[in-house]
Amino acid sequence: MTRAPLAWSMRIGLCILGAYVALALISLVWTPYDPLSPGVGDSFLPPSVEFPLGTDRLGSDVLSRLMAGTQYNLGIALVAVILALVIGSALGVVAGYYGGATDIAISRSVEIFQAFPGVLFAMLVVKAVGPGVLNIILVLSFIGIPDYARLARAEVQSRRNWPYAEAARMVGNRSWQVAFRHLLPNSMGPLLAFTSINAAFVSLVTASLGFLGLGLNPNTPEWGNMIARGQDGVMTGEWWVSFFPGLAILGMTGAFYLLGDALADLADPRRRR
Amino acid sequence: MIRLILQRLLWALPVALGVVTITFITARLFGGDPTELFAPPEATDELRAQIRERLGLADPMWMQYLRYLADVARFDFGISFSTNQAVSTDLTERLPATLELGLTGLGLGALIGIPLGVFAAVKRERVPDFLVRGFTLAGMALPQFWIGLVLIWIFFVTLGWFPGPVGRLPIEVRPPEPITGFMLIDLALLGDWSSWRLALWQLVLPAVTLAIASMAPIARVTRASMVEALQSDYIRTAVAMGHGERVLWFRYALRNALLPVITLIGVLAGNVFGGAVLLESIFGWPGLGQYALQAIEGSDFAALQGFVIYAALLYVITFLLVDVLYIVIDPRMRHA
Amino acid sequence: MSSPLLEIEGLSGSFRSPNGALTPVLHDVSFAVPRGTVTAIVGETGSGKSLTALSILGIQPPTFQRSAGRILFDGRDLLTLKPEEMRGIRGRRISIVFQDARAALNPVFTVGRQLADVHRLHHGGSASRAMKRTIEALRAVSIPEPERRARQYPHEFSGGMAQRAMIALAALVCEPELLILDEPTTGLDVTIQAAIMELIGDLVRERGLTACLITHDLGVVAETCDRVVVMNAGRVVETGTTEAIFTRPRQDYTRRLLAASQLGETPEMIEA
Repeated sequence: MTRAPLAWSMRIGLCILGAYVALALISLVWTPYDPLSPGVGDSFLPPSVEFPLGTDRLGSDVLSRLMAGTQYNLGIALVAVILALVIGSALGVVAGYYGGATDIAISRSVEIFQAFPGVLFAMLVVKAVGPGVLNIILVLSFIGIPDYARLARAEVQSRRNWPYAEAARMVGNRSWQVAFRHLLPNSMGPLLAFTSINAAFVSLVTASLGFLGLGLNPNTPEWGNMIARGQDGVMTGEWWVSFFPGLAILGMTGAFYLLGDALADLADPRRRR
Repeated sequence: MIRLILQRLLWALPVALGVVTITFITARLFGGDPTELFAPPEATDELRAQIRERLGLADPMWMQYLRYLADVARFDFGISFSTNQAVSTDLTERLPATLELGLTGLGLGALIGIPLGVFAAVKRERVPDFLVRGFTLAGMALPQFWIGLVLIWIFFVTLGWFPGPVGRLPIEVRPPEPITGFMLIDLALLGDWSSWRLALWQLVLPAVTLAIASMAPIARVTRASMVEALQSDYIRTAVAMGHGERVLWFRYALRNALLPVITLIGVLAGNVFGGAVLLESIFGWPGLGQYALQAIEGSDFAALQGFVIYAALLYVITFLLVDVLYIVIDPRMRHA
Repeated sequence: MSSPLLEIEGLSGSFRSPNGALTPVLHDVSFAVPRGTVTAIVGETGSGKSLTALSILGIQPPTFQRSAGRILFDGRDLLTLKPEEMRGIRGRRISIVFQDARAALNPVFTVGRQLADVHRLHHGGSASRAMKRTIEALRAVSIPEPERRARQYPHEFSGGMAQRAMIALAALVCEPELLILDEPTTGLDVTIQAAIMELIGDLVRERGLTACLITHDLGVVAETCDRVVVMNAGRVVETGTTEAIFTRPRQDYTRRLLAASQLGETPEMIEA
């Protein structure tokens, strides 16, 4: 019953994410080879001193591409979840605070969207609007919005009639001020915890879209793209092209999960293990 | 109990209508112009207009919508451009493949995940707990398709223990005429045991991939809800009355802890039945997911609509089953 | 005279908070429960009386850390027993009735099944025989229609009925040498409280049980108990026969407790 593991998962998660941010920044100015240019080495060279993670079919350096990929995978995940957090919790706060018809409209729409296979919906829309970083971000945040809205709604609803909300109203705050300035901040704990878990989900879906060739231009060094490019290699024994991007995804997604767990524990002391 | 189930069914109707409507809108907005699929590139505007007329695309939107609703109600999703078959036939043909893989994989995942979660909960904050938590974290943080690729690399390419990712049967084996559509059941019914073994072997790697991916969240949720159950008053009573650990864990605590786990398995099942797109594409598995992917890639309008509605329907059915299981497990639900 | 069935000697301990800090909660708690008597442990919430009772069975919260003391049951220190030996004591020789019986019974099994499980655990025999004995036990605690009630779930029981079932479990199905009753009437309606206490009194008298009644309500003590242990803030304040405690309280705290329950002689009356 000590707090140690909680602090540890938070610390490890933050450290790993910090490392990914650093990697993304470094890759902006330096990578061992040009990640986009083919033929910096021979095709399918196994890992060696010269190419630590080997080369792919086109002879590009896997390590360089992996580093550059951090920009895409981390960037897409972060922007998409922040967008979804902002829009989703705004909708949820409105539904939870004002109740009535607004609430019913928002809650019902949320329910309908949840019956959709989310990943499939993403594939469908990305296919329609075309590949591109911005499109992926918009679609992925769109899928997340219902969950944030539901969570924020429940949180705000449970606090709407608490004494401090009453007090804030009595001293003359407008209702939107009570909702957004007093109730929302108190609901941030569970929302942030979910944001972190959602970021893990978003990075997995990003990679999935990339793997299917629906996400970005196939030459983009996004990790899912890279795994797809190495897929044929796996069948002939050139495992490294697909293997290492998977590890990169594991690290980032795992860090988001660890952080989300720690935040959830902080937000709900009863969940303390 | 029957009344409860009927109530849930009624509740599912507006959700289903919403799904159908959104599918319609999405398809019209994003589905591309189906005229292009019929019109040769050099077609004149006049020819295109004729095609649009024939496809009913020239009518006002609300008429298209109503016609579409009527079709959906009759389970008529139109003809797939790519298979030239009724979409509903296509889907019904492919459903058993997805169910066979999904049920095996999820079943395995639950069979391993639940005991693993119980084990972690009773060894809470000790080495086995940390191992299980680390292992399940990795299982959740890895993309399913990557797990599949690694399994193929290890067990097919390197070790050669299992066959390659070519679907439900080796290429040289002729698939039997479907009876139930479930390969293992059909081959058993036909008494073709040598093919049955081949089919089972084909199933192992994709099912294990799904099992690993589903085992991780199942074990985590089981652990969390077991931890809570083990701290409850009724477990304290059972301890005070002298029950042994095994009875406490597996009889008294687990049954209470199972409810959130069942919800989770429902969600996982909904996702798999709604198209394990990547899993099926990696293993060449001819199920709903692969069909959906082909429909997306080929802008197959009708197929896509049909699939999405089918998937949503399976989702609703899955949750209906979850509700029924809830009622079976938790007597308090029977009076809700 | 034989030695007491239960002797607690110098039990001390603290709660450990998540950051490792220790808050002392029990200070040198000592008292004895002679055979064939009903001893009340009386005190306010937080006095450590329930914690002491749970410690006897080794089911105290995991955050409680004992620093000193012995709990002698029939001459053996329970605190030195191995887990399997302790399991042989629980239910079989010492058993307990908890405060909130509806929460203390497992929500997903029928009441009959839970009692029968314990019956088979301690007395063996077939499932049908265990169920028969369970129904007899439910009848003995005046639960109407015990056959039907045995097939019901805890949530279908009222608080009072659930407490009767709990008493049937702890006292009749288990047949213990020592019965601990941890606030058995708290949270029940006043009329139900009286009925439950009457039931406990009857059982104790008829079967000559040795019992330990934990309560904050002195009102229930007078009729049922032979001896009283008064606890406050983790310490034993005063011990004595019920008569002595009610008529000649030596400690100020005991007097205040009596006054608060409007029992015995209030300080004002003494002064007057």
